[in-house]
Amino acid sequence: MSHVDEGTLHAYLDGEQLPAERALLEAHVAECPACRARLDEERALIERASHLLGLAQAPERAAPPPPLHQLRHPRLAWRLRMPLAWAATVVLAIGVGYYLGGTSFRSAPLADSSATLTTVRPTDSFTPIAAFAYGDRDSIAPTRRANEAGHTGKAPARTPAEPPIIVDGALAEREQVADQRVAPKARADSVAAQAGVVAIDRRLELRAPTPAPVPSAAAPPSPARAEADLRAARGRLVATEWPIIQRQPAREMLGTDPVGVPGLAVREMRRSPAGDGVVLVEQQLDSTTVIQLFQRRVEADRAARDAAPAAGAPALRRQLYAETERLARFVGSLRVEIAGPLPEDSLNKLLEQVQPIRR
Amino acid sequence: MPEDLAEIYRSTYRVLVRFLYRKVWDAERAEDLAQEAFARALVHKPEKARAWLFVVAANMARDEARRAARERRHLTLLKSEPEVVSRAPEDEIDADAKRVRVRVALDQLTPRDREALLLWDAGMSYDEIAAQTGLARGAIGTTLARARRRLVEAFEAGSEEQHVARG
Repeated sequence: MSHVDEGTLHAYLDGEQLPAERALLEAHVAECPACRARLDEERALIERASHLLGLAQAPERAAPPPPLHQLRHPRLAWRLRMPLAWAATVVLAIGVGYYLGGTSFRSAPLADSSATLTTVRPTDSFTPIAAFAYGDRDSIAPTRRANEAGHTGKAPARTPAEPPIIVDGALAEREQVADQRVAPKARADSVAAQAGVVAIDRRLELRAPTPAPVPSAAAPPSPARAEADLRAARGRLVATEWPIIQRQPAREMLGTDPVGVPGLAVREMRRSPAGDGVVLVEQQLDSTTVIQLFQRRVEADRAARDAAPAAGAPALRRQLYAETERLARFVGSLRVEIAGPLPEDSLNKLLEQVQPIRR
Repeated sequence: MPEDLAEIYRSTYRVLVRFLYRKVWDAERAEDLAQEAFARALVHKPEKARAWLFVVAANMARDEARRAARERRHLTLLKSEPEVVSRAPEDEIDADAKRVRVRVALDQLTPRDREALLLWDAGMSYDEIAAQTGLARGAIGTTLARARRRLVEAFEAGSEEQHVARG
């Protein structure tokens, strides 16, 4: 056998040579130092080329679910919302609108837009990424009111002497109109509850212009209250204090594309005001339901995890952290947590679908 | 989705995206195209689904490249300010720079050499590469050898250029 050409060497090294040729080549190489040297060269070349190709890769991503299956089944689950969630949502939203807008009750668009931002299901899990920054904050009043109103589901009597309440009525009607466009019957109850909640909330705010007293300060601590504390703190603070950012800054913070559930409109991207590198992507499931995806780089997350207990974190925070382990996932270089007014298994399903967001 | 295609999806999606990425150089676009290829496979139910997917993907990427070239011509006329330079971390910039250099190097291969190399890198066998490219099976080794050598040479030439330019 004469010297081996490079194509044969590559086929041999690729393991693609036919057995007969293979035996011949091996016999030749065994007694031909020149071809042995070339074999080593070609092997190095193959490795080098393979390494270079390896450099030309998009950042590693999680494989999304098969096409055509996307988001087909979960929608049913999304309908199973609790009226409580509605109440909490709207109260938080109005509260936020009130805090943000000062005394201006004419900021209906603001209230409208925040209504879908703060959907925090009262009995659901929450996200420590966000709460780490705010776990100690107070003010659970809005959610508590929401719960009460949600249970009664009745609008309290309105006092004409209080002008803002009239505006409230108009606002509630607006929302009702908007809702009826989407799904008239299914939402009627909730809307009624909302109207009541709105009124209650405003009345309390008006009567007590100073911040409402924090019940937990006086009351004996209870796990349920602790949970409510954290949820409320998170919902309010996310909506009010997390600045809205564009895609590019979000990308820079994360070092990669932010992630979301494919097929859902991205409502806002926000960043944590604590400078801890957390990006929040809010996506709209339907006209009134928003899920929140808290995400940050894995390294940043580890750092936060290591730092949190050391910083004399109260038991609440630790509890918070344990809670979210279940609803967190790594997507490429990001740790992602999900929150929203949905049953946990629905949230989990959504979380499984998360992938980098397309432009 | 038929069970076997679902299985192929799981095993092939990533390599298909990688294959496409090196043709369109846009991660999101590559994913779009890969999904589109699978969606088409659902409709057509090809017998050799994996090979079929790569053929379809290659065709879509080619169409995509043509379209992109047309758009570039338009954009050149409307030339605007350069892209905002992101404040990416040092190693990321480095990775980006390397990616660009590999891309430039790959561009210097003949289309056929490049195709064979990318298909091999996507896990295709010589037989499959031969079927897809129309090359004789016996020519695949030679084609890959040439492709690899050119890639490495072009990449290294590009690096030297860069060092000279940096002074």
